[in-house]
Amino acid sequence: MFKWLPASKNHSFIVNLCAFCTTLLLLVLLSLLAFVFTKGSGYFLSPPVYQVSYKDDNGKQHIVFAQFPSGYSENFSGRVTASTENTIYQAQLPLHSRQISNIEKRSDVANISLIDGRKLFAVPQHIRSSKDLKVSLSELDKYLNIIDDIREEIDEIKQNELTEIDKILASVDKSSPSINPIQQSALLKYQSLQKTIAELENKRDTFSLNMADVKGESIAIVLADIHSISFPSNMTWIGKIKHAFNLLWLFLSENPKQSNTAGGIFPALFGTVVMVLLMTLIVAPFGVLSAVYIHEYAPNNLLVTAMRVCISNMAAVPAIVYGVFGLGFLVYVVGGNIDALFFSDALPAPTMGAPSIFWASVTMALLTLPVVIVATDEGLNRVPQGLRKGSYALGATKSETIWYTVLPIASPSIITGIILAIARAAGEVAPLMLLGAVRFAPQLPVDSEFPFVHLERQFMHLGVFIYDGAFSTQINPQGASMMFATCSLLLLVVLFLNIVAVTLRARLRERYQ
Amino acid sequence: MHDFENVTNNIGDITFMLKLFNYDKPNVYQLSDEQTAIKVNNLNLSFGEKPVLRDINLRIPKHQITAFIGQSGCGKSTLLGCFNRMNELATDCKVSGEVFINKRNINSKKENVSRLRASVGMVFQKPNPFPMNIYDNVSYGLRLQGLKERRKMDDAVERALVDAALWEEVKDRLFEPASILSGGQQQRLVIARALALEPEILLLDEPTSALDPLTTLIIEELMVELKKRCTVIIVTHNMQQASRVSDYTAFMHQGEVVEFSDSDTLFTMPQKKKTEDYITGRYG
Ligand SMILES: Nc1ncnc2c1ncn2[C@@H]1O[C@H](COP(=O)(O)OP(=O)(O)OP(=O)(O)O)[C@@H](O)[C@H]1O
Ligand SMILES: [Mg+2]
Repeated sequence: MFKWLPASKNHSFIVNLCAFCTTLLLLVLLSLLAFVFTKGSGYFLSPPVYQVSYKDDNGKQHIVFAQFPSGYSENFSGRVTASTENTIYQAQLPLHSRQISNIEKRSDVANISLIDGRKLFAVPQHIRSSKDLKVSLSELDKYLNIIDDIREEIDEIKQNELTEIDKILASVDKSSPSINPIQQSALLKYQSLQKTIAELENKRDTFSLNMADVKGESIAIVLADIHSISFPSNMTWIGKIKHAFNLLWLFLSENPKQSNTAGGIFPALFGTVVMVLLMTLIVAPFGVLSAVYIHEYAPNNLLVTAMRVCISNMAAVPAIVYGVFGLGFLVYVVGGNIDALFFSDALPAPTMGAPSIFWASVTMALLTLPVVIVATDEGLNRVPQGLRKGSYALGATKSETIWYTVLPIASPSIITGIILAIARAAGEVAPLMLLGAVRFAPQLPVDSEFPFVHLERQFMHLGVFIYDGAFSTQINPQGASMMFATCSLLLLVVLFLNIVAVTLRARLRERYQ
Repeated sequence: MHDFENVTNNIGDITFMLKLFNYDKPNVYQLSDEQTAIKVNNLNLSFGEKPVLRDINLRIPKHQITAFIGQSGCGKSTLLGCFNRMNELATDCKVSGEVFINKRNINSKKENVSRLRASVGMVFQKPNPFPMNIYDNVSYGLRLQGLKERRKMDDAVERALVDAALWEEVKDRLFEPASILSGGQQQRLVIARALALEPEILLLDEPTSALDPLTTLIIEELMVELKKRCTVIIVTHNMQQASRVSDYTAFMHQGEVVEFSDSDTLFTMPQKKKTEDYITGRYG
């Protein structure tokens, strides 16, 4: 067949070429993973802090507290995280080791993270309490605990009693001029609670931490603003690992801060999961049912063949086209009409006629439909004819045969298709940006407020989060490690889904062999 | 388990008995309606342009074993499929003529095909157990019939497996996948699956072609046992098998039934030249 290949020597050349290409591919893939994971892990590591004296390009001398991304080395060149003389808050600073005139490890420098997400390097000195008493640093944990208790107390009052009163006040008829006694007492209670809260807040804010910045000048920060304090240069290995896990937990469970460059990604993770679940609920039944129709019921004519070709080609339509379709048709036309029919009271404020997690899920379902249909179609194709005949011969109708015999046997392929669809949807960004995925959503799409699932809300999404992070790091390099950490998380989510798919398929194959 | 000698003895007994009762067998062309399980009138069938069955007229005797023999491709399986309308699964199949079961023309449009197939069981050449456990395989038909009561289902499954001579071998592993069974066990499992519905007629399409001689004997013995409760029709390429177990034999050639009579007559005194050539192995 390969007559145009002159001799066996060339065959070995071709084999070598193939091997080379495969190796190259593997290397690229591995370096991608390695790059993303090392960059991402920077978010959780705490290398030691140094006091660095260096000359900038203009020959001016500076002194900073700096943290090198993976420890200090003789010929370092890159960005360090530093608190400078100008600002005590940490920023990214380009630095080359040849600029450095003096470097010294400082085990007394603390990495202090504030509640609002900002961080700073400083040397803690003492705690100051209300009566201007100086308290030694060893009592720090005690005071942090006291403040945590106060904070919890405030939260509890706000959550339970205030919402209760809010409800009572809201339920009162506004049109009647006289104030009824229930309302009166509620109002009084409200005022007294507000007072209690103010007192508690005052008490909370009386404690502050005095510390020295890099110039040795003393500054004070209210203890209640401090989230956590750690001494990176002074940590044992176990301490570092503990700290890393602590940070990982915060990363997964907290809201983002400082315009998505600090804090956690919980809302994005949650939004992604909810969107993907919704999408699965839509795409799985539609995809499987249409594949069953095409494969089992549709006549075998030109039209159906054309439809098959179209469906496989739909997978190649760029995602942004789906996004435009979703926005232009689903949101404005379909959603707008739903609003006009069912939510006309609220108009002109849109209910369904605005980008939301629901329309994002529907559009993603459309986008991933071909994956599910093609996989199911292949699965149906593999069901042996003998088993169908066996089922018919026992008096099963066509639908019974499909339901009890054909679909269970095709289930490994169906599950594979669905999981591939999920993995695709979890990573897709472009259409979501048009359809309600935002940088910051004040509310989650699912919460404890009736009716619990709010499909009309906008949401946050890991992919959009990364996209946003990637653009803003050009302006604000601090977010980079957070963005890479999010990338790693997304990779892990997709990897996890694929592992689930493979094991599930193996299980089902074994069961329906 | 069956002991080989025991089985051969049994078969010997049966053939002996068949010989004894040979002369009691009525002529197939003079069966009364009571003695008839299936009556076929002017049946023609074609797949697309290709005629496969031509002008078939016959009566299958009730509670007897009838064998169809003939060269490969002559239409035996197709004729078998006419008795439970399996042929219509092929979209280009055209049938004309009448097939009467219980005085109902099953080819009529009004026929409830699912109910027909539940009462006319079929076993295929290649064992095709469903990829489920043994219990679910046997109860498949019953569940389709809407049986829900667990105890009734258990009883029916056990009865069917006992009838198919499989109970002893699988009673401890009813909930293991059917795929772990051997070929012969699988074939008996699909027979049990058909028997669970207590069919009036059982169609067996070369049920032993993939089995070893011992298992073949077990299944032959089973067939003889089964004819007490239903009419059995079997397609076979094995002439010994046809003469051993069947009461009546039909020889088919190119879509026509050439000769149909009780097995002893057909195998010892064939009336047609083609039949003689075929059974003596001079044909094809
Ligand atoms: N679904 C089908 N579509 C088209 N032609 C078919 C179909 N099924 C069977 N045939 C044709 O009908 C003829 C009879 O087939 P059939 O299966 O009845 O033969 P058979 O006697 O059972 O042969 P064998 O002993 O090999 O099983 C064959 O020529 C076959 O090619
Ligand atoms: Mg056949």
